[in-house]
Amino acid sequence: MKHEKKRITKIIDELMFYLFSMGANNIDVNFKREADLCAITFKSDYDLSKRDKLFKLVKFLNYEKQEEMEEYYWELTGNYDLDTELSLVGMMIDEAKIYYDDEKIEIVLLRYN
Amino acid sequence: MKSKFMDAKYLFLILFSASLIVFGLLFATPIEIYKGTIQILTQPDTLITDYIGVGGIGASFFNSGVLTLIFTFLLYKLKLKINGISIASIFLIAGFSLFGKNLFNVWFVIIGVFIYSKVQKDKFSKYIYIAIFGTAMAPIVTEIIFSTTISKLISIPLGMAIGISIGFILPPISSFLLNVHQGFNLYNIGFASGVIGTIFVSLLKSYGFIPVPRFIWTEGNNEIFSIYLYLLFSLFIICGFLLNNKSFKNVKNITHYSGRLISDFVIMEGFPPTLINMGINGIIATTYILLVNGDLNGPTIGGIFTIVGFGAFGKHPKNIIPIFIGVLIGSVTKIWNINDPSILLAALFGTALAPIAGEFGWFYGIIAAIIHSSVVLNVGYLHGGLNLYNNGFSAGIVAAVLVPLIEAFRKDDF
Repeated sequence: MKHEKKRITKIIDELMFYLFSMGANNIDVNFKREADLCAITFKSDYDLSKRDKLFKLVKFLNYEKQEEMEEYYWELTGNYDLDTELSLVGMMIDEAKIYYDDEKIEIVLLRYN
Repeated sequence: MKSKFMDAKYLFLILFSASLIVFGLLFATPIEIYKGTIQILTQPDTLITDYIGVGGIGASFFNSGVLTLIFTFLLYKLKLKINGISIASIFLIAGFSLFGKNLFNVWFVIIGVFIYSKVQKDKFSKYIYIAIFGTAMAPIVTEIIFSTTISKLISIPLGMAIGISIGFILPPISSFLLNVHQGFNLYNIGFASGVIGTIFVSLLKSYGFIPVPRFIWTEGNNEIFSIYLYLLFSLFIICGFLLNNKSFKNVKNITHYSGRLISDFVIMEGFPPTLINMGINGIIATTYILLVNGDLNGPTIGGIFTIVGFGAFGKHPKNIIPIFIGVLIGSVTKIWNINDPSILLAALFGTALAPIAGEFGWFYGIIAAIIHSSVVLNVGYLHGGLNLYNNGFSAGIVAAVLVPLIEAFRKDDF
């Protein structure tokens, strides 16, 4: 696949921006490449008053992977700062795990090769 | 997650195709359709070529219905799930098959995209939507093949080769150009085709080949077309309502999205509410044409089908109405009339800029439409009318200029 590294970087950009918009001040990002998958983990604090917005994060990141959407639209990911392309990220990954409490969010994104 | 509406969505597209074919058969005998289709297939398709004026109502709708059916079958063979972008692309085929795309000229761009996917050692299905939208450049094939200034020995292979080469270069260009307008132009391939068409036509002109402008525009069929369209869109709403457990649940949710790429309403809110939204969009667009005393014909029905199709992929009443208002206001102050052919098309296809209204509000949507309705009249010259999505080309330019300016002076931040 062309631009694989750039695509992963854009996914990270998009999530970083989302976490900023959620009031994050302390974000840890971990990227791990294995034989058959890439795993990206975000651990972050957030503004509790924005907790209601997490519903959309869970909804969008759990969209089914759609290669045809990714191939055409991946350039849009991580580019724009007034809105998010979380739904596109959801279509670019195979699996998303999202855990949160009143203080922290943990997001794990899995993208199989 | 398997959708229980998966089969229903394919059935919907098949029935829509069938409605076009049946409507065509109501107006012509099979022999007349055959003769009309031959006329459609053997003439250039430069903007604006209303197939109803070339081959008659029967052949035009037959061409549209059969092409729509073939592309639906193509999606099925590629085992793709029908979502918002699928519906938008299929409706685009249906619409433009009334004025520019036909059973002959669309395949060369598709073959070009297919070859690109094989060169990349990728699945063709990953590029299918670029291929379908990319048929915007189909007229360049017939313009060259049926040219009277070049020998057929040269024009036939040249036309085919150019169509294939455009399809071959389209995927990386169309993806890259999204960066220019940040998804605020829903007809991104129109923008890409405009850029590519400008380069190809410039090269062709350098060798003495000048595309010949056409203007075939039919009038006088408003009554029969409005009956068909209102009936069709009412059925969309009724079917959506029934599939939605006899409710309008989630339809309002659709209007909360800006519509910026990518806003796939089928995935986000489900097929039934999307179907209702599509029907409402269709009724609004048809009513607009009738209110301004415009003509319902191949090009305008094409524009209406496009709005309906993108009712599954970015357009809803809240973000398309400001575009209509903007074009309407423009007609008061500018030198043209609101029901001039190009301006009718500017209003319908100008809804490519609906995400600007959706994201920044009505005011900016109106401003975008006022600017677009002037820009679109001037960019067709660049590609010689060979890019069917001329409004998409213009909308890309308008969005590229307007969006950074709006952002720069906006007080709030996400």
